[in-house]
Amino acid sequence: MATDPQYIRNFSIIAHIDHGKSTLSDRILELTGTVAKRDMTDQLLDSMDIERERGITIKSQAVRVMYTASDGHEYQFNLIDTPGHVDFTYEVSRSLAACEGAVLVVDATQGVEAQTVANAMMAMNANLEIIPLINKIDLPSADPERVKGEIEDGLAILADDAILASGKTGEGVPDLLEAVVTMVPAPEGDANAPLRALIFDSYFDPYRGVVALVRVVDGSIKKGDEVRLVNAGTEILVEEVGARHPAEIALPELSVGEVGYLVTGLKDVSQVRVGDTITTSKGGVTEPLPGYREAKPMVYTGLFPIESDQYEDLKEALEKLSLNDPALIWEPETSHALGFGFRVGFLGLLHMEVIKERLEREFGLDLIATAPSVEYHVFMTNGEVISLHSPQDMPDPSKIDHVEEPYLKATIMIPPDYVGAVMDLTVSHRGTFKTMNYLSTTTVEQIWEIPSSELILDYFDQLKSRTKGYASLDYEFDGYKPGALQKLDILLSGKPVDALSFIVHKDKAYDRGRVLCEKLKGIIPQQMFEVPIQAAVGGRVLARQTVRAKRKDVLAKCYGGDISRKRKLLEKQKAGKKRMKAIGNVEVPQEAFMAILKVDE
Amino acid sequence: MPHDPYKALYIHLPFCKHRCAYCDFATQAISADSPAIDEYIEGLVMDIRRKAKEGELAHIETVYLGGGTPSYIGQKRLSSLLYALGVSMDLTPEVECSMEANPESLTPELIRDVYALGVNRLSIGVQSFDDGLLKTLDRIHDSARAEEAVRAALERFENVSIDLMCGIPGQTPDMFLADLQKAADLGVTHVSVYPLTIEDHTPFRRMVDSGELEDVNEEHEALMMGMAPNVLGAAGFHRYEVASYAKDGYECRHNKAYWTGVPYLGLGASAVTMTQNESRRMRVQDGQVVDDLDRRQMCAEDLMMKMRMCAGVSEEEVREAALLLPDVLEVFRGLVRDHLVKRENGRYTPTLGGWLLGNELYGRIYELAP
Repeated sequence: MATDPQYIRNFSIIAHIDHGKSTLSDRILELTGTVAKRDMTDQLLDSMDIERERGITIKSQAVRVMYTASDGHEYQFNLIDTPGHVDFTYEVSRSLAACEGAVLVVDATQGVEAQTVANAMMAMNANLEIIPLINKIDLPSADPERVKGEIEDGLAILADDAILASGKTGEGVPDLLEAVVTMVPAPEGDANAPLRALIFDSYFDPYRGVVALVRVVDGSIKKGDEVRLVNAGTEILVEEVGARHPAEIALPELSVGEVGYLVTGLKDVSQVRVGDTITTSKGGVTEPLPGYREAKPMVYTGLFPIESDQYEDLKEALEKLSLNDPALIWEPETSHALGFGFRVGFLGLLHMEVIKERLEREFGLDLIATAPSVEYHVFMTNGEVISLHSPQDMPDPSKIDHVEEPYLKATIMIPPDYVGAVMDLTVSHRGTFKTMNYLSTTTVEQIWEIPSSELILDYFDQLKSRTKGYASLDYEFDGYKPGALQKLDILLSGKPVDALSFIVHKDKAYDRGRVLCEKLKGIIPQQMFEVPIQAAVGGRVLARQTVRAKRKDVLAKCYGGDISRKRKLLEKQKAGKKRMKAIGNVEVPQEAFMAILKVDE
Repeated sequence: MPHDPYKALYIHLPFCKHRCAYCDFATQAISADSPAIDEYIEGLVMDIRRKAKEGELAHIETVYLGGGTPSYIGQKRLSSLLYALGVSMDLTPEVECSMEANPESLTPELIRDVYALGVNRLSIGVQSFDDGLLKTLDRIHDSARAEEAVRAALERFENVSIDLMCGIPGQTPDMFLADLQKAADLGVTHVSVYPLTIEDHTPFRRMVDSGELEDVNEEHEALMMGMAPNVLGAAGFHRYEVASYAKDGYECRHNKAYWTGVPYLGLGASAVTMTQNESRRMRVQDGQVVDDLDRRQMCAEDLMMKMRMCAGVSEEEVREAALLLPDVLEVFRGLVRDHLVKRENGRYTPTLGGWLLGNELYGRIYELAP
């Protein structure tokens, strides 16, 4: 029994990080009786531990809510919760393609921030109806009038009728529900046309295989249907369809305009790519749905298991994670220092941290991550061009004509007081100033061109600290440009450690090398012999430090009661060793590989 | 569990006049006339009587009264404690009975009393004969008092040990040399040399963290610990453990029990008892099991503890251990290769470097059966 599309509303909620999107979603579930109040846990839709702990949304979620509007009709709302961090812009774009409308949430105290702009742009480009909502009006410092002005000036969205709401108290949420009914268009689609459904997210369920979240654009889909993925060409026998409330409830079918889940029964994770189109095996469409763009990794890092016997486990874990995450790409990498591992590409630093944490937590792996890098283009003298993901693959300098590095167009929003501080910081990160606009008396927008490699270093942390947390940042890829780039090697006991190499601008090589040697001296514990640490470009040593040999390391008193204490100490020593990697005969702690990140302290 | 007989008895007396700033031992600063001390001694007497009745004191060969500062609790209490001990076990002259003392409370009267009641070895917490360093260490005696106490002890006792510390902030190698020389000149039979360690949760730790006190200089300590064997060696001492030097016949038998896997009984607050049989070893402290080792762990621990001593372990012991710990030969080979241990005359013994890098040396053996 198909729901009449005129009673379906598909929408998502978009916001800058921390503007209260997930809490607002919770209130909608509660107010529509989808979830009883006693069953509410905070941020219900953030199901991963990491999501709740960090207060961020990583995975998209779709939940179906039934709402009886003031016009007396019952409506089917499909609410799609989207990630809010700049790293996950791509996931937002997939979710938006499944909607007709978007609620744009803006914090009543913070106002419009960089990702508010970026997300609103994406929603406009996807031709979504936008409902502006000013959240957290219960806060004493809330200033909805100023924020309305920012929405109108900065985003060109009429905000007179913006909904004033509080996800915390629930105020304004009934107005929002009515606005969804009246403002968001009903889905259009042909119930009799061949099936077309968009996969906007998917996950691996250990009992049922790959589950896809889909939006039916044309036709309908039911259990037992034989369907095909247009891009991948994979044939699927549909095992179950249904909707999430947010618990999954099986349904006879998903009809035109509806959003729900689909159990594919597939075990091979790489066969169901997010963004693909589902159609019927016989008589289906050949053209996939538009509005899907490939995610391109911005940051690369080497991930190596500390215990080499965890290599296969790491591979399996990456396979599982990349099912849900088409942006996660990886290839085997071998390091002399760290053994067998993988070069993994991420959307950004947060994405990288989250994945590393999930690998360690959910899969029980002990990992070493090498310093993040970007994709360089190396133009060889023989005309060949190499895409370089890992510094250790840098060819011999004599064979290189020039190197190009990726640049970003960065949009930074700050109160006017911090204009100078941001200028200083960004110039020191090789940024080129483009333009500056006053969005309001309290918000300035600066546009910069900055090398990606500088941004992934520590730029965002520094930007936050130099602006007392006021700055917000958004960026997009802006092409490749040549730069005077060199590979800097770190040598321990005279031997280069490939996993510690990185690519650096010529003007910064000396400073980075010197600071890094100092840092490593503090990180590498004293060994039984002297360990010289050197930074070198080509054969030229730029800096040197020495970790002196350990002379004395003993608990002198060891009588009756001291023996148990001694055992504990040795147990700790053993555990400490486990977190280290033996490189040659030098024990190197994990932090050493990340030290390169934090050289500007 | 059925267990091998205890051969060593430790009695803990956790009372001091003053807690020194570097100290992290189980002790408390308390007034000497506090009834709490009387109660504690009474409890110990009851424990001793009960253990005697249970037959646990029948094979005791060494007794050690440690602290805290046993000399601080006074003649009367020590007398009742030692009297209870004397009627509870066979406290013959063959039993080594040590007592710790601090210079300020070690009076000639106390010396005569404890001697009469069976104590035959005194261990005096001198730490240094330099007034400035004693002040730095927050000790409450001065060098004159220390010398006086040692001389008084030697009038009645043949076997007197003193503790010396090295690596004290402000201590030069020359100053330490003078301390070693003084110990030798006074005619003591045993010297323990400890490097100062900054322990957590002590005033010293806070002072080092705040920059008020200079941190221990490991190089300095290593240098001074290296001086002791030469200076004391010239005066007729030999080193038998990493921190222990004795004249012939005066090695501390009680301490050697700890290093050779001999079962011991501990009485009093925080004292550790080691109970064992052939296949299991347990350590219990304040009613809690703190270690519970199986046969393999016992074997590794015995090897590790023996490597604290100059005698080390014999090749035969290592071969025997290999039955339980197949990797033991490989580990000992590695220790020899890295010059932490030398192998000669059928024994593995620690090198000077191995002693200084004890945690590395012991750690590798420990890891055979952690």
